Amino acid sequence: MLESSRDGLADDASARQSGTPERRQRHRENDAEAIAAGQQRAAETRQAVTEATDDVKDSIAGLASDIPKLASHTRAIHAHGDVFSRYFDFGVNQVRWLGGALRGTTTLVEVADSVDDPDMAVGLLRMTGPRLQAAMAGAMLLDSWFDFLQLADALLQQCPYYNVEQLLVDMERVQKRLEPAMTALSSLEPGRVEATAAAMPELMGQLTQEFHTIREGARMATERAGQVIAVAQFVEMVALVSTLRVSLPRLPPSGPVLVGARLSVGPGGVMAGSHLVVSAEWVEMMRRLVQAGVISLPVASAAVRIHAGQVLMAQSHRDLPKGVREALGDSPEVRGMHETGKAGAGMSEAPKHHVLPREHREWFEQRGFTGAMDIDQFCVRMEKSHHEAIHGGGNWQLGRTWPGEWNRMIMDELRRAEARSGRMLTRNQVLDIVATRMKTYDIPLRFSRGRSR
Amino acid sequence: MTDGRSWQGNWKTRIYERVRERGYDSLTAFAEARPTASLVELAEELGRDDIAGVQVFSGLVAEAERNHQVTRLVRAQCVRELHAYLPAGWPSEMGDENRFKVARALAGWYSFTPETHKERVDRAGDALLANPPLAGWHPLGPDDELLRTLLPDDQA
Repeated sequence: MLESSRDGLADDASARQSGTPERRQRHRENDAEAIAAGQQRAAETRQAVTEATDDVKDSIAGLASDIPKLASHTRAIHAHGDVFSRYFDFGVNQVRWLGGALRGTTTLVEVADSVDDPDMAVGLLRMTGPRLQAAMAGAMLLDSWFDFLQLADALLQQCPYYNVEQLLVDMERVQKRLEPAMTALSSLEPGRVEATAAAMPELMGQLTQEFHTIREGARMATERAGQVIAVAQFVEMVALVSTLRVSLPRLPPSGPVLVGARLSVGPGGVMAGSHLVVSAEWVEMMRRLVQAGVISLPVASAAVRIHAGQVLMAQSHRDLPKGVREALGDSPEVRGMHETGKAGAGMSEAPKHHVLPREHREWFEQRGFTGAMDIDQFCVRMEKSHHEAIHGGGNWQLGRTWPGEWNRMIMDELRRAEARSGRMLTRNQVLDIVATRMKTYDIPLRFSRGRSR
Repeated sequence: MTDGRSWQGNWKTRIYERVRERGYDSLTAFAEARPTASLVELAEELGRDDIAGVQVFSGLVAEAERNHQVTRLVRAQCVRELHAYLPAGWPSEMGDENRFKVARALAGWYSFTPETHKERVDRAGDALLANPPLAGWHPLGPDDELLRTLLPDDQA
């Protein structure tokens, strides 16, 4: 008893004296683990961003070639085909900005690949968020728009009884429904993209209804005319229009359906009853994107609801069953991470600040900070006290002779590193230096786009 | 770390509480017992989530000012920066990669130097590049001989 307690004391004492190196050793091991975990996380996030980007890229590449093909078909089959060209042009214009958004995403992924610091890599991957969300939602909308173009083409060819004027009015109306969302998405402005992407189920619901209305109108016009044409021809016509390949979600069965009530997570993915809505791989990709803060939970949930055809009810993501939300990466941490306006955590309201000082925009431009990588992309939200502290304001300092003001410190360090290395710093070298100092200042490596002014 | 929590509450009190908990009566003593640790590592050891490297440095500057040991602190900071980028010591050849590492270490050192000593640090950096130390030079603390030649304590 006595002995063991003495042992305990001896251990304690020796730990205090020689404990420092041991402790540091342990500390280093923890650091090594932390670095490995960070690298693992960066790699997983990168893979998820790449998968999501590739998905959208494929669907846009398909549309980029299908839209012009269909346009020339429409022109060829109908005397009034030309009148519809502006609707095809609308589609082509969307392909353009979607391509730009994807190129921006690819650039960020490449830069993330080449920086040393895993936290900076995740920070860069997170910057793909607005572009990726805009591209995912935009591609889905463009797919739907292509459904309407196909419908118009089929009606022009097969339904002489559906008035061309009426079809133009229909297309105009649908375009008007789509356009505000496309404009918001193409702005790539995080707040607008987020709000639009999260509201996609309702819009997809409206589009689905529009599609059915037009098809039904054509069916009725044909039926009225059916009295004077051969029955066989009539049947064929109606059949063709109703079997068009459509990307629009199926309408849920009529009658009240409780959103999310029937959705569950199975080994294969998210199920609606016995029907697979989205695969386990897709869910895993989304979970990684959500947890890394690349895309938001409301946007991921919106995508699930669209796939499940639950598009008509104005419901929020909170109405998805808990199991599905958790599979998509929901957690208190994730809920606090996103800038979901008033619903978000306190930090979402904190003002944004440039990490790379705006007064030196040109210096950064010369070192590759342009386009998707321009300095306005590197803003962070910070509480007032923190912001004051890093700018040397307030009463934060302990010593007098080292002001430690962020802008001056970081520019001094970058310029000196450049002068001492005898050549212009590369973008990645700048990012590595900045990442180290952001950690020293405890500035979160969570970038969002700020104002350029 | 890096979630901004280090600026909440009274961090000055927090730092000194942690320093005392670890058995030191000053931040300088705590830091000198870990001469090659970076500021981030020192901060993490004091509080993984709620203390920042700059806070530690600002505290070290304050203590050095009071004890008239700023030059010693400047040398100590040089050791930390060199160790972070050149853990195997001064490079034997100056290819682009090594040159950048040296440049980074010297630039970082300059950033974390009080105003009063910045010029001397610049000159010391020039001297190190003009007359490079032996390959593998790896100062382990502010008492390193070469460092003391480059930045001797004030005569006062």
